[in-house]
Amino acid sequence: MEIKFKNITKSFGNILANKDINFSISSGKIHALLGENGAGKSTLVKILSGHYRADDGEIIVGEEKLELGSTKDSIKNGIGILAQDPLDFSNLNVLESFIVGSKNTNPFINIKGIKKNILEQFKKYKINVNPEDQIRDLSVGERQQVELIRLLFNGTKIIILDEPTNGFSLEQKQLVFEVLKSLNKVGFIIILVSHKLDEVLDLCQEATILKRGEIVSTVQLPCPSDQIIDLMFDSKFSAKANNKKENSKNSNLGSILLNFSKKPKSIQYYDQDINFPCGKTTGVIGLQGSGADQFIRDCFSGKINITIKNENSDNFIPEKYFYYTPSDRLEKGLFNELKIYEHVAISRFSDSQIIDWKKVEKKSTQLIDDFNIKGEKNTMASELSGGNQQKLMLALIPEEIGLLLMEQPTRGLDVQSASFIWRKIKTRSNSDYGSIFSTTDIEEVWAYSDYIMCFSGNSITHFSDKSEINKNEIPYLISGVNSNGK
Amino acid sequence: MENKLKINLLNLSFITIKLLVTFLLISLIILLLGGSPLEVMESIIYGAFGKPQKIVKTLLIWAPIALASLALLITFSAGLWNIGIEGQIIAGSVGATIIARSALGESIASPYIQIFIGLIFGGLWGLLCGFLRVKFNVHEIFGGLGLDFVASGLIVYLIIGPWKRAGIASTSGTDIFPDASWLPTLGKYNFQIIPLILVIASFIIIFILIKYTNLGLRLRATGINPSSTSRYKINSSLYFYYAFAIAGALAGIAGVVQAAGFHHKLVPAISGGYGFLSILIVLASSRNPVITMILSFFFASMIAGGSQLQLRLDLHSSMISIILSSIVLIWLVMRSPYLNNMFNKITSRLNLEK
Repeated sequence: MEIKFKNITKSFGNILANKDINFSISSGKIHALLGENGAGKSTLVKILSGHYRADDGEIIVGEEKLELGSTKDSIKNGIGILAQDPLDFSNLNVLESFIVGSKNTNPFINIKGIKKNILEQFKKYKINVNPEDQIRDLSVGERQQVELIRLLFNGTKIIILDEPTNGFSLEQKQLVFEVLKSLNKVGFIIILVSHKLDEVLDLCQEATILKRGEIVSTVQLPCPSDQIIDLMFDSKFSAKANNKKENSKNSNLGSILLNFSKKPKSIQYYDQDINFPCGKTTGVIGLQGSGADQFIRDCFSGKINITIKNENSDNFIPEKYFYYTPSDRLEKGLFNELKIYEHVAISRFSDSQIIDWKKVEKKSTQLIDDFNIKGEKNTMASELSGGNQQKLMLALIPEEIGLLLMEQPTRGLDVQSASFIWRKIKTRSNSDYGSIFSTTDIEEVWAYSDYIMCFSGNSITHFSDKSEINKNEIPYLISGVNSNGK
Repeated sequence: MENKLKINLLNLSFITIKLLVTFLLISLIILLLGGSPLEVMESIIYGAFGKPQKIVKTLLIWAPIALASLALLITFSAGLWNIGIEGQIIAGSVGATIIARSALGESIASPYIQIFIGLIFGGLWGLLCGFLRVKFNVHEIFGGLGLDFVASGLIVYLIIGPWKRAGIASTSGTDIFPDASWLPTLGKYNFQIIPLILVIASFIIIFILIKYTNLGLRLRATGINPSSTSRYKINSSLYFYYAFAIAGALAGIAGVVQAAGFHHKLVPAISGGYGFLSILIVLASSRNPVITMILSFFFASMIAGGSQLQLRLDLHSSMISIILSSIVLIWLVMRSPYLNNMFNKITSRLNLEK
């Protein structure tokens, strides 16, 4: 079987997301779509899955021409997408979501049978989810896993994975990759959208590289990763993180003290308080659903008491200076139908009742420039790519001193955007009260934190200065294999 | 530049086609109802604008519809379906009646006090809906509908109970307000300037509120995605209250105009169904303030002119509401994403050809 893309073109407002895309994908080879954020990968696969309607061009699946912009026709042709942000029914439970998506037209549903079937699949792929659980209560990672099983369950023959592995643990990822490889052997077409080169090299045999909406090249894998990086990015990019220790200007402010006396129910916290000097960064690492993200949310919502302690006093930080960025960028961080400059007005010009739009627009242009956001001041948040949404969220944080609370700030971002975002965070974090971020990536927590906190099974398994922990211990601390950390 | 002009022209012709199709379908409906489209339309236009006193009446009908539409612009901005608007209009008219029947009713300040009290009553009735939504998580559609029923029950009780006319208890309304409690008129055609001033002032306030203030922007943000608001230190419940209070107050004023300007007494059907009509108007105008005003004026003219149908053409006057709702329905279909997509395809093709 083969999928042919012919002259696919798609624009959002003024942004041309895909321009004259021509290439084909065949079964037998797992195909990767590579490119930096905003290169047009997600748009392209969403056109294939029918979520977006291309402005021009056609797609041919096997012998048939696909009806563009119809998810129904895409599903009929066996196309299933595992999206960056899960596209599931958050108001149903797992079992119901399987039934809703199924092609079975028999009005009498064999619920018991389906449930048994699901449980078998879950067991096979080591997914620890109860079919009765509400989908909205699952973590992003668990939702992704359930979605993949649901796609297989519905007879999907063409599986698109749109940067899904952020939510998988290492073991689950390997399991999923094994499954994908064996599916590929029996004739499934598998398309992986990713920016993680190691993943792509591990799984795929062929890669198409996109840049600014156009195809740069299709390469056979394996091939040297330098070559691919050269194709993906404009300038030669070194992936080495800038990790030189800088002295904090703000350590004389005192230290940040986290106190768990309110005992939030969702998570088991430490018995003793946690503190770290002002101006430092604490990285909270845990697998998806481990409670690391919840920890950040609890800090923001005041379920954890946060004070600044110095010799003579103990001060609360005014709520105004808690700057929070959620990992669900569109669902909890931005307003999808508001434009960039309207976001700027809400977050940066809230002091006066009457808005001076001229000033706002000037500031917006400056921020777009500063944060290298690929969009214009009247681009809607929903039209931005994930990476640019993240940049926008950071750009909206006022310059004033504050406490940064960031849930997975680089989730789903390519190396270049991620390093850009970290550069931006680091330029301000020294002069801030402090910053706390969560991540699922050990490399990231190691590269950017001064203090490291580990989460496993909704409890804190470790907290210390980075110098007091060995990088090799972290996988154990977050997988719960050895929860007392030796 | 030339291309832009082309697209604008195309845009215009697209709208013209839509209007034409709407017009044709309406004619078809009139034919089916047994009327002659041209006669009906001529009669409506004459009924609305044929004589100075007809224009005065049209403007008086327009005022409450425009006020209710402006009210709904605010609640729709905040993502709220203010079905309770009918109740808020009624609350305003009850407020007006209380003043008119009190000792204050004989004072020349009465109309202005009525407006103030009507505004408060409507606002409070609106807040009640917001309170149910925020505190008890009752969706505003159900809460609003419930409060509409309560308000219509209350008004009937007041008319046949405590405020019944001497000797008879009838649902035809209360005693006529004292002269001082009528909204003042100008000239020999009894032109009422106050409703018009209220509409224009409200329009300016709402327009500025939506376009230029933080409050308006935050209302919209809350409407789009309440779960993002906490990040921006926006208290979404507070903004729900603001929206309901402002909308209720405007609807309350509409109620005062109905009671003190139009009926000069309290009648059970005091709202005239203008609240529900305004929901259609705001939906059909895509929440654009200027289009909302134009459309509400168009609808008011239809209603004013429609009362002539029975007299001149022997058609039932309810025909006008059939025509009005058909217009909205057809117009909403015309705005459907499917048709818009088709249009976008044509324009983007033009763009690419450049």
